[in-house]
Amino acid sequence: MNSLDFSIVAQAWPYLWSGLLFSLALTAAAFVIGMILGTLFALVQHFEVPVAGRLVRAYIALIRSIPLILVLFWFFFLVPIVLGHLSGNGRPVPIGATWTAFITFGLFEAAYYSEIIRVGLRAVNRGQFEACQALALSTFHTYRCVILPQVLRVASPIILSQTIILFQDTSLVYVLSLTDLLGAASKLAQLNGRLVEMYLVVALVYLGVSSAASQCVASLRKRYAMAGAHR
Amino acid sequence: MFQETAVNVTSRSSAIVAVENLVKRFGQFTALNDINLTVAAGEKIVLCGPSGSGKSTLIRCINHIEKHDGGRIVVTGVELTDRMTDINSVRREVGMVFQSFNLFPHLSIVENCMLAPMKVRGLSREEAHERAMGVLRQVRIHDQAGKYPGQLSGGQQQRVAIARALCMQPKIMLFDEPTSALDPEMVKEVLDTMIGLARGGMTMICVTHEMGFAREVADRVVFMDRGTIVEEADPETFFRAARTERAKGFLQQIIH
Repeated sequence: MNSLDFSIVAQAWPYLWSGLLFSLALTAAAFVIGMILGTLFALVQHFEVPVAGRLVRAYIALIRSIPLILVLFWFFFLVPIVLGHLSGNGRPVPIGATWTAFITFGLFEAAYYSEIIRVGLRAVNRGQFEACQALALSTFHTYRCVILPQVLRVASPIILSQTIILFQDTSLVYVLSLTDLLGAASKLAQLNGRLVEMYLVVALVYLGVSSAASQCVASLRKRYAMAGAHR
Repeated sequence: MFQETAVNVTSRSSAIVAVENLVKRFGQFTALNDINLTVAAGEKIVLCGPSGSGKSTLIRCINHIEKHDGGRIVVTGVELTDRMTDINSVRREVGMVFQSFNLFPHLSIVENCMLAPMKVRGLSREEAHERAMGVLRQVRIHDQAGKYPGQLSGGQQQRVAIARALCMQPKIMLFDEPTSALDPEMVKEVLDTMIGLARGGMTMICVTHEMGFAREVADRVVFMDRGTIVEEADPETFFRAARTERAKGFLQQIIH
């Protein structure tokens, strides 16, 4: 077996870097879309909105029971056909791999974030709601200023954990021929035959990013454990 | 049952709270049965009675945290119905202090006091801050304004809760067992704050077993048992010569 040659990594770095940036951008976009939609979904369920509540519950149950890779396929192949039918001329309207990835990841993560926030909403003490009522705060201000900030604080470690998983899952975009960090490494590895070095380095980058985020989770946990120690 | 014909407020004009034939049920259980209570502006009422007698439920009906099932509640001239505008116009004038403080843990002390005046009364941040600091000074806790609820003792937290309610400049204050969750050495600071408030002329309805407080500030003691008002008297008469056996039995128990 040849000895390891990491000089190849230095040459490959710009390409790997662009892959990493794509992974991070996808993570960030899916996080933002997922959190906004997830919060809405959680509130719809929390308020037991008649029809919407059931639809959201069904959506979450569906999304959570199928693999992400399948959702990506669906989106990539089915949505253009559906759009084609809707537009009337019957021809598929391609939405492109990048858009597919951003939308799919956002919608997929929304289901998971929604569950986290829904549980968080249930964990808020009833007294908090009563205090808001007694102060005549509107429902909007109650949730915007009092309830949701507390939910996000309590749930932030779990939300961050879920986001770390999301970051790792972005590697699945290879099925759409998009080049994320892992995709970049694997293409280069096949070109130059340095599989071991490339995969080792990529693993280290994933490890670095994920453990940095885990450190954040740990310190958040500690902070809120202390803040929650009253009474 | 609501009486559709009783549109006119029949209570005395000086009454700031008028409760007529109030009924509240929790499923099969009748928590309040035919309660009649009139509170004049500036009056201090102490509600007492054994646990489960309905006294907390009664004051929670007055600001519609519990929805009543029958009878009428008129607060500052507004009858409480299902309409949110009525409910909120009553709640704006009625401050409430809870047994478990219910401060907002993610907001600092001064922010706890600023939130509702800004969002409900429409005060600017500066105005709300100025008002909050004034009231916090009044309850002698302004030096803790930047801290968070979790960093304060129970007694301090309860004084902040009183301040938070006062920042809305309510006409009536409701107290739901404000000292029951406190360590004994912290009860006094909260009671002193409440006594100060009473001396300032605030209309107060207090659910409490602090009989010393009742003697000192109450105009009337209302004794409840099993969802009804059993006896009403001025504190001296009530403590010295309660008329009903139930009240006598209750007094004997809390003295021991």
